[in-house]
Amino acid sequence: MKLRLSPQTLLVLDAFLQQPEEWKYGYDLSRGTGLKSGTLYPILMRMAERKLLETAWEAGEPGKPPRHMYRFTPDGLRFARANAAAHAGGGLGQVALGLVAPGPVGG
Amino acid sequence: MGAPRRLGRALLGGVLRMAPRESRDWAGAMLGELDFIEGEWAALFWALGSMTAVVRHAAGGWRAWLNRRSQQEEGMNTTGKRALGVGLGMLSALALVGCAFAVLRILGILFPGLEHSPWAYWLAVMAIPETIFVAATVMLWRKKGPLAAGILATGLVMALHVAVHLTLHW
Repeated sequence: MKLRLSPQTLLVLDAFLQQPEEWKYGYDLSRGTGLKSGTLYPILMRMAERKLLETAWEAGEPGKPPRHMYRFTPDGLRFARANAAAHAGGGLGQVALGLVAPGPVGG
Repeated sequence: MGAPRRLGRALLGGVLRMAPRESRDWAGAMLGELDFIEGEWAALFWALGSMTAVVRHAAGGWRAWLNRRSQQEEGMNTTGKRALGVGLGMLSALALVGCAFAVLRILGILFPGLEHSPWAYWLAVMAIPETIFVAATVMLWRKKGPLAAGILATGLVMALHVAVHLTLHW
């Protein structure tokens, strides 16, 4: 399961890890991570292609379009938690972007 | 709904219609979010970013398809290769005409009334594409003859169509 862990990808993983059971919308993820749609969606596409994310359409209210939602698959959650453990001491994305110093790894 | 959001919707909607099947779901997902974005300009920038994402995704699919084709092409005879070249040339020319139509639509949204101007129509859909076809044919003729022939054939068919149209209506 190869996924290039760019700082932006780590931010997205971090956002999903906040409430891993909940479905999330693209725009909310964009606001939460500060990523533009042109950066966010390629990451979501790669994660979905690698079966790290499951996607679903939410039936919209009348007059509103349906929304696409995303959440971790069990594999995705394991993958994100393993990476979070490796970057323990700060949010995944924050560490990757150099906003927080990484904590000690292991023991 | 303000003009920037409308423009964003039109652009992304156009990309959605032209996107290959595997990218269409994602394009729809991005389009669906447009109504929830706060701010008209933010919605336009969302649409522009989304278009980039869809085009990159589709390009990945096309690259994979081309790789498969080139692998198949190695086992083809000369006639097969030429036919494939002509077909690709025709497809490229038709894609260019599709882009010209899209540009005309966008200009029509930005400058209402322009879309119905016959001069804008002839320039965007005939004069510019035909000029590009001729230039591409001249440039590609020696190295990629079949591709150039495909482009030229499409250009000729378009020109013939215009000639018939003019003869019947003027």
